[in-house]
Amino acid sequence: MEVASPIEVSDVTLRYRLDRNRVGTVKEAAVRFVKRDHSYESILALDGVTFTVSPGEIFGVIGPNGAGKSTLMKIIARVLPPSSGRVIVRGSVAPMIELGAGFNPEFTARENVIIYGALLGRDPKFMRERVDVIVEWAGVADFVDIPVRTFSSGMKGRLAFSVATDIEPDILLVDEVLAVGDQAFRKKSEARMNELISGGASVVVVSHALGLVRRICARVMWIDSGRVKMIGPAQEVVDAYEASG
Amino acid sequence: MTVAQPTVYYDSDQNRRPLITEFRNFWRYRGLIKLLVVRQLTVRYKRSVLGVWWTVLNPILTIAVLWVIFSNFFGRGGTLDEPYIVYLSAGILLSTYFVQGVNSTGASIINSRNILVKMYLPPEIFALVTALAAAANFILSLVPLFLLQLLTGVGIPWTVILVPLPLVTMLMFVTGIGLLIASAAVYFRDVLDITRVLTSLVNFLIPTFWTIGILEGKSALILVENNPVYSYLVSFRNLVYQGVIPERRFLIMMVVSSVVALMLGVYVFSRNWRRVVVRL
Repeated sequence: MEVASPIEVSDVTLRYRLDRNRVGTVKEAAVRFVKRDHSYESILALDGVTFTVSPGEIFGVIGPNGAGKSTLMKIIARVLPPSSGRVIVRGSVAPMIELGAGFNPEFTARENVIIYGALLGRDPKFMRERVDVIVEWAGVADFVDIPVRTFSSGMKGRLAFSVATDIEPDILLVDEVLAVGDQAFRKKSEARMNELISGGASVVVVSHALGLVRRICARVMWIDSGRVKMIGPAQEVVDAYEASG
Repeated sequence: MTVAQPTVYYDSDQNRRPLITEFRNFWRYRGLIKLLVVRQLTVRYKRSVLGVWWTVLNPILTIAVLWVIFSNFFGRGGTLDEPYIVYLSAGILLSTYFVQGVNSTGASIINSRNILVKMYLPPEIFALVTALAAAANFILSLVPLFLLQLLTGVGIPWTVILVPLPLVTMLMFVTGIGLLIASAAVYFRDVLDITRVLTSLVNFLIPTFWTIGILEGKSALILVENNPVYSYLVSFRNLVYQGVIPERRFLIMMVVSSVVALMLGVYVFSRNWRRVVVRL
């Protein structure tokens, strides 16, 4: 039996209207309506992007700033619906995009872990049982009942990473996340990622660290201005990207 | 090698069935919704000494102020069978539920922007959470109202067991209107300011501190009597202390307006979400 691809992206386009003189209020809109000023710019954040990720593969995405890498991740993570084209994602997704978005500074680490986990789609009951393991791994066990506002940004990052990787997801979306924490924690988190990958998870990595991409990715996609420039073996694509640059 | 069919599956082409999808999500995410409601109720008071007690104290203080003003300085027209303070309190509590509910639910999507642009969650649950928090505040504020009824000798009639009817229909009404405002608020930021101004007029459109008697024979009476919010107000007063079952026309108006508002709100919101989310 052939195993279906965990991620299939076919001909995905994301277009949005950016009003030239950005309308922010009803008043402005009314004024422009009266003046018959309907000008707007259509922005193509992604234009006909197609690729598939195989089971257990580490797939890299590279490209200059503003190329649409993060937008692509958000489309795979289901945050943004594509304007046209189709995205199919099979399996549970752990999106490691700007970790800790759901943290509330006034609540304790324990409360935040439970809510953050629930926001990631996990059962609150399950999260209550996992709190101790999660804070232990993040190295903040002694501060579990203290408001997160007193935490350093490193502590918050570690805690969020620990929650996100607490389950074994089928698909891991990584957006420059390994920059969290100090040297020791970076090692620890890389080890945790390797664990998940050897457990069979597919990974999409967005990174500017070309060395890392070359080292860990099997295949790489290079995008620029929302279009796919090249897809292929990591070495080839990264070389071509560097040569262009 | 065979791999078990994954339980989670996302297909952007999947036909979304409007309304069904959303109402299913409300049920599927009930655990998260509960957590978020509790968070919303407690976060405001995290740093205060009195904590959640503010939720009860707030309406008491508001009512005390209004009572002093209206019983001493302004005539209110008509005569009442009940003590004015009870009449006033019930009115203010209900209108506060409506006003705060609509305003906070309208702002809920913008306020959850941080989460909504970073991880996938059905956005409409954030509106429901905020409306539920307003409902919870309303329930808590019933405690001082009951005390007042006991102190003034009005008592608590058996019909209070039916108070959930205006409570729940108002929740639906608020969620629906809040969702309509929330979609618009992403496009135009001043929608929230406009809403605040318009909802502050509610106390003049429904008899909270004044009595309907002053409109006897005036054309404005039609405006008030056909205003859906009025049906909630009358029904609430009927049930919470007057001990009578509301007239049928008010019951119908209440139920119909809540169902229509909720359906319309959810439908318009989910139809527009695609366009809204890229602007968030």
